[in-house]
Order: sequence, then structure tokens, then C-alpha cells
Amino acid sequence: MAAQTAAIEPADSTEATLSLLRELRRARSRKQIVNLAFWLYLAAIAIFSYGGWLVAAIVRALRQPPPAVADTPMLLRATPAGLAALALLVLVFVLWDARWRGPVVIAQPTADWLLDTPIRRDRLLRPRYRASALRFMLAGAAAGLVPVALLLAAGLGGSGFGDSLRLAGVAMLSTALLAGLGAGAAAWAEARAYAGLRVVPGVGVLAVTALAGLAALSAAFRLPAAISTILLWSGPWGWAAQGPVALAGGSARLWPAATLLLAAAAAAAMTLGDRAAADVPAAVLRARARTLGHVSAAVFNLDARRVTTAYRGAVGAYARARLRIRPPLARQLVLPWRDLTALIRAPSRLAWSALLALASVGLGALAVRASHAALLPLIAALTLGYLAAAGLCEGARLDGDDPRRAAQLPFRYDALAWWHAIVPCLALGVLAGGPAAALTIISGHVWLLPLIAATITVLVGGALVNSFRGELEGEMFDGFDTPLGNSSGITIMLWYVTGPLLAIGPMIILWSAAISSARAGRTTPEALVSVALAAWLCSIAARRARRLKTA
Amino acid sequence: MLTRVSRSYGALQALKPVDLTVLPAQCIALLGVNGSGKSTLLRIAAGRDTPTSGQVSYCGRPLREDALVARAEIAVAGDASSTYPDLTVREHLMLVAVAHGAGPAAPGLVDSTLAECRLSDHGNALPGSLSSGQRQALQLAAVLVRPRRVLILDEPEQRLDPGARRWLGGLLAKEKAAGAAVLLATHHVELAAAVADEAVVLLDGEVVARGTPDQALAGIQ
Repeated sequence: MAAQTAAIEPADSTEATLSLLRELRRARSRKQIVNLAFWLYLAAIAIFSYGGWLVAAIVRALRQPPPAVADTPMLLRATPAGLAALALLVLVFVLWDARWRGPVVIAQPTADWLLDTPIRRDRLLRPRYRASALRFMLAGAAAGLVPVALLLAAGLGGSGFGDSLRLAGVAMLSTALLAGLGAGAAAWAEARAYAGLRVVPGVGVLAVTALAGLAALSAAFRLPAAISTILLWSGPWGWAAQGPVALAGGSARLWPAATLLLAAAAAAAMTLGDRAAADVPAAVLRARARTLGHVSAAVFNLDARRVTTAYRGAVGAYARARLRIRPPLARQLVLPWRDLTALIRAPSRLAWSALLALASVGLGALAVRASHAALLPLIAALTLGYLAAAGLCEGARLDGDDPRRAAQLPFRYDALAWWHAIVPCLALGVLAGGPAAALTIISGHVWLLPLIAATITVLVGGALVNSFRGELEGEMFDGFDTPLGNSSGITIMLWYVTGPLLAIGPMIILWSAAISSARAGRTTPEALVSVALAAWLCSIAARRARRLKTA
Repeated sequence: MLTRVSRSYGALQALKPVDLTVLPAQCIALLGVNGSGKSTLLRIAAGRDTPTSGQVSYCGRPLREDALVARAEIAVAGDASSTYPDLTVREHLMLVAVAHGAGPAAPGLVDSTLAECRLSDHGNALPGSLSSGQRQALQLAAVLVRPRRVLILDEPEQRLDPGARRWLGGLLAKEKAAGAAVLLATHHVELAAAVADEAVVLLDGEVVARGTPDQALAGIQ
């Protein structure tokens, strides 16, 4: 076909093109359906084989909901804020998902071969949007089971099967509508390149945290009823919470109206989203398709690090600051200088680590103060502390990603793990150790200080073990068959969680021992064991680094 | 037409203000080292990037990549980096031809394009089995199988052997003769000298020489 000098008047070839594509890909579509059916079959088998007891327990809980306990009235007071927080979390998740791939997403070949043709975009994009919205609603409905389980466990699920079923139905419907509303709003926002979508997830997480705090306050103190009322009418998250609150015995008399309002808002948002889907710019669709391709490839290879990299590539790296520290003259300060520079140049990563560290300290304080059942907050505190430490070990992770990066450094590659421990330990010491020390001094638990300091080194050691794990090796997929299935799944899982497992597991035991013997007022033995554990973890990291270098 | 177009990424100015007009039956070649701003300029010219300042217009109207006229008339080679894993080379081209309204003429058009791009023997192959040079030829075939008034090519000579490069030169000359406006970024000075009416040399995002290919190259020497 030769080039043309006159204006080209394209005929509408949309139907012919999409029919041709369907026809050409029919065999693949059939294969996909067969694959899906096979996976559903496998999932059903797995659920009934391994989770049969769970299904039975759920059915039993629905038939005979647990009765109210002494704490039930207190928990009931927390339901408006608590359920609104959970509902808001669903909405935040949908909008976060939209930030990197959006409800309107096409495959990369479709983006590359069909986007710059004159076919009608609405015919190409709306079916994708509708499928995404449906998936979100189904996922939202499943997420609705979380508040149901919590309410049932708290003795707020009613008195019989009918009550439980009604509660489950209303909760699932509400979260499904909320997810649909989020999908519609996200499509509308991305068609208009609405910049606010970028900040919504961050603001949403803060709002969820505030609501969770309010729920805790409501449980501890009798807050004015007006606060709950305002909260339940403050937006779609409140409307979605009203049904479950009312059915759990709380005060939300107008919940049918709120649910109708939510349904109307969801319908309006989804209609707007449907119209807007056709206007999503090609540049956005192309970028999303590329990201999805990269993330899918990384997920298929079970490569969590590459998933993160691809995700960060889509939503933008951590905010960068152009701060400089004068390079050191002493050889020993080169790596600390490099790690510190990496930290201050990505202040938002540092901020996330600070947030996690503070949450960890708060939960740790709760674990120390609690008279019983301290295990849960303790595990949560150590896990969050580990995540904070992992965020501070980016320098080590960069060296672990590619050993060639460190080729010019005046250190042996396997010794890097030790050098990379310095800055994260100091940073975590400031972010978590500082507040924790202040708390212990104020509350008169000064004897915990050595253990706090030692815990920081252990958490950093665990993070370093994971930083130098390298890429998943193909042979890990070749497990051996056991009566419970192939062992490869467990091998791969262990490969991912070795660091946190080796750091958090022993620390749970040491902290439990320290807290229970708190009354003795000494933690020196536990602290010494922790320091030895930290050194052992660093030596594992060094051994892993050596293996990476020789691989 | 690009009027005082510039592009910055944060503090980095990838392209300093530049004017460029490509007319029908004209070929402009962008020359310059890696990172000099050629691809940025091409993306802006295709409407695929928004300039930080300045305007891009096509036939007197502001250019938008999503506009029907841009999709129907501006062919950009080098974008289709991924392919459908289950569709053959011929089927990919059929899809493009049909989408551009070729209708019943599509099979014949695809066959002639395959022949023109020396891919006739690979029509029934999956793109994954092609060599890098053949994949590059497929990219060119994808723009030749559709109607076009403007052809935008980013280093089309890459991965082509010397014989294929000569073929590419002939192809671009034919496009120009048929009335297409061709905007080309290339590292291959001989290709630019053979087909371009004007060469623009970029360095660090700035036009440092322009004129006929000979004049522009003499200017930087």
C-alpha cells in the first residue's frame, strides 16, 4: 500500500477487527477456559482437602454463632469506626490498584498492535472495564466476609443461622457495591488524568489508621453517639458499614436507606466509569499494559523483588531528595556513607520505615503491658519492626540484586553484609529505639533497654539474610512428592521467609521469656542471646553473598 | 509542525526549544549521539509525549495521539515491541490491515507487504521464532500494510544487515515519492544522506546543525 497525499477517511472497521481477533484467538481462548476450569478444580480440591475443617468450622459458626462474652458490649461500641475502617480499606485497595494498572487495562500486544489503529476505543476498552469492575465486585464481596468473621467471633453475629446469613449477605453486598464504586471512580479519574489519584491511597491509609484509632478509643471509652452517627454518614465507607453495624446490634436504624444510597452511588460511579473508559489516553494504556506485562512475568517467576521493581516503575520511585553528604576519606566509611546517602535521597522510604517502627513500638508496649494474650501484639510488633528494618536495607538489596555493582568496592563481596548492617542498625536505633527507650524510661521498664537494642540488630540481621538471597533457582520447583503434595511450594516459601523466620521466631521466644520474667527485672541473658543471634544472621547473609558471587 | 517545542524531565532538559516542519514528500533525518534527544523529539512529533513548552500541530490542528486523524494517518514504526504469542506474522499484519479498513483487500495487501519486506517465507511463523532483523522487518511491515500520510521511524536500520539497509533506503525513497512525509531518527549517516532532504543534528537536546545532510554534517565537523 503506497502512502497517500489526500486526507484518509477511515471506514469503521471496529467490528471486523474485533471479530478477526476473536476468530484468530479462539483456540487460545478455549485453552484458557480449560486452564481456568482446571485451576478452579484444583482450588476446590485444595480447599476440601486442606481446609475442610475450616469450612466445617465456618458452617458451624454460622449455624450456631458464638454467644456474647464479657467484652462484647465494648466491642459493639467499636463497630461503627472499626467497620467503617474496614470498608474504607476496601475502597483504598481498589484505588491503589487503579494507581498502577487501573480498571481499564489491556494486554501489551493489544496496546502495541491495536491502539494506534482507527478502531473505536469504546468497543475495545469498555468490555475490559466491565470485566475489571466485575472482578473488583466479586473480590469486594469476598472481603465482606472479614467483618462477618470478626463480628461472629466477637459474639455479635446474632442468635441463629438466619441472623448469620443475613449479616453475611448484607456485609458482602455492601463491600461489593463499595468496590464497584471504587472501580467506577478510578476509571473516571484515569480518563481525566486526575492527579489526585496518586495521593488517594496514602491519604486513605492514614484515614484508615485514624478510624482504627477511633475504634480503639470507642471501645475503651464511651464516646458521644453523635460521633458514630457522623462517621456512618460521612461517606460510602460509612454507608457500607451501617448494615453490618445494625445487624450486629449497633445503632444504625436507617441502614436500609444507607445501603440504597450506596447502591445508587455505586451505580452512578460505574456508569460514569463506563463512559469514561473509552477516553483513557493511549499513553496511559500503553504504560499500564507494559507494567502489567512486567509484573505478570515476575509473578510467574515468583520473583518478589522484580514485582516490586516493576510496580515502583509504574507508580514512580520513592520521592527523591537531592541531598548530599560529603564523601568520606576513610575507606571504612564508604559503605555507611553510600547507605546513608541512599536513605536520605529517598525520604519517603525512610518515612515508611519510621511509621512501621513507631507502630512496632506501640504494639510492643501493648505486649509488655498486657496481662494476658500478649503473643499477638508481640508477633505483630516484631513483624512490623522487621519490615521497618527491611526498608532501611535498600543499599544491601541493591548489592544483592547484582554482585557486579560492588565490583569496584575495596571489600570482599561476602563482607558487605557486615558493612551494610551499620546504617540500618543506627537508623532503626533512632526510629524505633529512641521512642522505645523513652517509653521504657517513662513506664519504669528500664531493664528492657538492652533487649530492645539487641532486637534491633537481630531484625537488621534477618533483613540482610533476605537481601542476599539472590534469584529463585529453577531447581527449587523440583520438589519431592509427599502425601500432602509436592514439597516445592514449602521450599519456595521458606526461601522467601528465611530472614524474617530466623529473626522473628527466636525473638518471640526471647521476648516472651523476658516479659514473663519481667518481674525479675533483668533481660541481660536474653539480650546476649539476641546479639549472638544477630551475628549468626549476618554470617548467614555473608555466606549467601559468597554463593551469589560464585554463581 | 513543531513550534518551539521543548521537553524537560524534572531538572533535566532533554530537548531545548526546537522548530520543525515536515511537508508531504519530504524526509527529515534526525542525527545525533545516544541521549541527544532524537527519540524524545520523535515521540513528541507522534503525539506520544507532551512537550513541556511549545506546540505540535498536524494539518493546522493541535496534535493528539488519541485523535482519529492521528491514528488513521500517522504511522509510527518501532512501537510494536510485543506480539501475540499465538498469532503468526501474517495474522498480525492482517489485524492491522483490517483495523485500517482494508476489508476484503487485506489478504492481498498482507501478501504484497510480506514480499516487500522480504518476509514471505516467514508469513506463517510465530514472531517469537524470528531473528532480530526479521522482527525489525515485521515492525516496518506493520506500517507499510496500513494507509499513511506521515511516517515516523526511530532508528529503523537497527539490526538490519547491509543488504536490508539498502532495501530500507529504497523503501523510504519510494514512500517519499508517493507523497508521504517521513521523519526519521538514525545513526546511519549514509541512510540519511541517501533519502533525507534535510538533516537536523542534535546534541544534548539542542539543534547544533541543520540543512541538507551534507551541510549539516559539514556543520558539525
